[in-house]
Amino acid sequence: MNFTTIYLLMLLIFAVGLIITPVLCKKLKVANLFAHGIALLGSLAAVLCASFVFVTGPQAFSLPLYLPFMAFSVRVDYLAAYFLAIIGLVGAAASIYAVAYGREYFKRRFIVMAELYLAFLLSMLLVVSVSHVFAFLVVWEVMSVASFMLVGQEYDNPVSTKAAYLYLVMTHIGTAFIMTAFLLLAKTSGSMEFAELSALGADTWTKNAIFLCALIGFGTKAGLIPLHIWLPKAHPAAPTHVSALMSGVMLKTAIYGMTRFYLEFLGVGPAWWGGIILLFAIVSAVLGVLYAMMEHDIKSLLAYSSVENIGLIMLGMGAGMVLMSNGLTTLAGLAWAAALFHVLNHAVFKALLFFGAGAVISVTHTRDIEQHGGLIKVMPYTAVVFLIGAAAISALPPFNGFVSEWLIFQVLFNLPAAIGGVLGKMVAAVLISLLGLTGALAAACFVKAYGMIFLAKPRGNKAEQASEVSGFMLVPMFLMAILCLVLGIIAPKIMVLLRDILAPFFSEGVLDSLVNSAWYVLGFQQGQVSAGLSLPALGVVFGAGIVLAAIFYLLNGLGKSETGETWTCGIVPNARMEYTATGFSGPIRRAFGKVLLPQTEKVINTNTSPYSGWRVIYEVHITHVVDELVYQPLNRRIVIASRFMKEIQTGSVQLYIGYIMAVTIGMLIWSTRW
Amino acid sequence: MVNNLISTYLIYLLGKALVLTALAPLVAGIIKKVKAFLQNRRGPGLFQLYFDIGKLLAKDSIISPTTSWIFTVTPFIYFAAAFGAAALAPVVAEVFFGTTGWQPDLFMLLYLFVLSRFFLVLAGLDAGSSFGGMGGAREMFVAVMVEPALLLASLTVALRAHSTNLTAMTLSAQTGFGGLSAIFAATAFFVVLIAETGRIPVDNPDTHLELTMIHEGMVLEYSGRRLGLIVWAVATKQLVLLVLFAALFWPFPLIIDSVAGQIVWLIVKVVLTAIALALTEMLANKMRLFKVPGFLAVASLLALLAIVAQ
Repeated sequence: MNFTTIYLLMLLIFAVGLIITPVLCKKLKVANLFAHGIALLGSLAAVLCASFVFVTGPQAFSLPLYLPFMAFSVRVDYLAAYFLAIIGLVGAAASIYAVAYGREYFKRRFIVMAELYLAFLLSMLLVVSVSHVFAFLVVWEVMSVASFMLVGQEYDNPVSTKAAYLYLVMTHIGTAFIMTAFLLLAKTSGSMEFAELSALGADTWTKNAIFLCALIGFGTKAGLIPLHIWLPKAHPAAPTHVSALMSGVMLKTAIYGMTRFYLEFLGVGPAWWGGIILLFAIVSAVLGVLYAMMEHDIKSLLAYSSVENIGLIMLGMGAGMVLMSNGLTTLAGLAWAAALFHVLNHAVFKALLFFGAGAVISVTHTRDIEQHGGLIKVMPYTAVVFLIGAAAISALPPFNGFVSEWLIFQVLFNLPAAIGGVLGKMVAAVLISLLGLTGALAAACFVKAYGMIFLAKPRGNKAEQASEVSGFMLVPMFLMAILCLVLGIIAPKIMVLLRDILAPFFSEGVLDSLVNSAWYVLGFQQGQVSAGLSLPALGVVFGAGIVLAAIFYLLNGLGKSETGETWTCGIVPNARMEYTATGFSGPIRRAFGKVLLPQTEKVINTNTSPYSGWRVIYEVHITHVVDELVYQPLNRRIVIASRFMKEIQTGSVQLYIGYIMAVTIGMLIWSTRW
Repeated sequence: MVNNLISTYLIYLLGKALVLTALAPLVAGIIKKVKAFLQNRRGPGLFQLYFDIGKLLAKDSIISPTTSWIFTVTPFIYFAAAFGAAALAPVVAEVFFGTTGWQPDLFMLLYLFVLSRFFLVLAGLDAGSSFGGMGGAREMFVAVMVEPALLLASLTVALRAHSTNLTAMTLSAQTGFGGLSAIFAATAFFVVLIAETGRIPVDNPDTHLELTMIHEGMVLEYSGRRLGLIVWAVATKQLVLLVLFAALFWPFPLIIDSVAGQIVWLIVKVVLTAIALALTEMLANKMRLFKVPGFLAVASLLALLAIVAQ
């Protein structure tokens, strides 16, 4: 059994799935099990491929396709294997989940969805493993189109369609830039193979152009602000298992692309490259989480939180590039390790949260968290795993989110080593405080989400009639929840893995001081400074605290617990007295009013009986600054420009023939001039 | 050998946490006494909080049927987080275990506070009353405003120490007078201290008026043993923050060689800070909630200035 066999087996599994699933269109239940079972097998094969690489070293092979400009060459180095493993892991969980979630789509084009799901998963696996520019661009396009169609799955709903087309436009703008970056790179290095791509021979302008094109191109896919506008619309529109894959994994293919470009192809660049990335990253992080905080649609909330997390990942990358250009390779390695660690962590807890959200939506049939409430009583298991996901994404110890956020804090803290003087200290201080702000807002955001969905009394009859979801949904959620905890505790092991992944891009032995030999300490040493984090030690102390609390609790016996209604100043409590999501985010909305520009609408209907009170409708909308200031004016200009173009598009065939004539004559004159 | 050192170290951390937890109600008593003295009252005795906690820990509880297990377990998590923070709090003697290997980290300490806040706000929302939600919303709002100021103030010390390791930070803070920068940083952290311990002008620990309360709103539904645990944890958290101020931000360090001397000096600093806290509470009025961001922005700017002036 060698690597090529496993890889081709994976392709074969997906091929069988893609061919057989449409045949089963009369037996939807079988098709459901078959298609998603195939997806599960394929994902597991991908994980197997990745493990094979981690054990035996990088692998590469090439299949002759006999196509011009195109070779199907596959190269899975440690970096690719890492992403392959992440996609396989989340893909496997999403496939199990999809078995339960797919049932809802039996009457709504199920076969198409299953086919597209397989194609989407396969294309993501290919994106991170092919190593030829053309092959990469082709599978990248397949990934974009498959996900576009999945976003437009409910095309009878105009909101979905609009989101899908916005996504299509944005992703193609991105692809154009990626193509430019690749072609410039291929031109300078004279090859289309990843292994030979290098910008070493290029002049500064070309390098800068490649850097910017890759940033815009992959940044669009990653959802970096201000290129994010498609993300919060497209992710919620897709079926939930696809949303989980899009947010948890598809965004990471863009991170993979950037890592390839900035770490491998472009080599060490000037410090301002990193500076630009840091700037966009911190804006994405802060604005992303602020918009998430204001959101009441659970899936949009999670989508905006993905924008935030991409910002966190890119903070690590940007800091890595700044440190690298100043020759601080060890710290740069730490920065990239932090970024890649967060890639894994975000994939795990975002998938978990999307699964949880999907479970809630499937029983309440609404995405509006104002109408949920009290679900912890009827969905106890979902409530537990969602809480773990919320804690992990809020970077609470001992979960995995805390570890990678701690690493990012450490990276930013070491920035003054690269940027000397007061400027360096200021940059570090401002970035760290904004990262702290992001963390606090994320905690507030997920406290809000959890509180509104699961706690207190049901706020609507939809939430009252809810019940726990099936095992197919619970199993992947529990797997991801366990991973959240395990990844936090075995973080030192992951750091060793990350050192191996990054080692090929650094000089020999540079990264050795990143990993501490002790399994219980995650740490690094740079000069005389050492920093470390020990979650097991914290666990001991925290556990001792719990035991102590229990001792004090039981000091005077167990005591009696009486049931008494919540104190509401003497009125019988009901669900309308509860704090709403709008109310909960109110103070923050007000404090950040200059950024969010909230607009309140209050309609008071006084026509009802004066004795029973007035009917008040209160709504708050926030303004998405980037949309209003950049995209809408741009959109208007495009519409105006196309109106001018309309003048020459009359629809008359004679006129078109005239155009063709005119162009032909023009070409003839131009070509025979000499 | 290594394992031995670690277990000794863990025992030391636990012992420290026990001592700080045990002393916390006393410090809260001192603040109350000073406040009473300044208001020309006699006030409760220094040990009153011990009696209160003791009484609460023997009482039965009333639990709302609306609540879930979140409400039930939160007091334990809240207490454990405060206890954990006490274990990490920088007290002088860390130095004797050397600076190699694992040391308590600043971010770890701060995120323990985030953990406790996360659960307390959830518990506040769990009972389904407006008080809990209001308290929780305000708590999260203040937390969002405090976090940058807290980090900036801590960074002034951390950047000087070139580490976020609390031991290294303590050592660096004791090396000498940091000049104007140290005074700015201390002022900034003092503001943060007021906000984090929930005192006037940000929050009022003595009131149950719905217009003003933040912390009390969240714990309104608690009674009996669980309330006892929360009250104790709040006092512990307050002491940890005071120790943090005394160890890292005290602008005029004394260089003392003996351990006993250092501990005595730390106690003096903590008591002096507690008195300062009581004094501020006396001199200030409760601030409108939406003025708090401005108040904390001043702290952030002071901390930034401190970083520049370093």
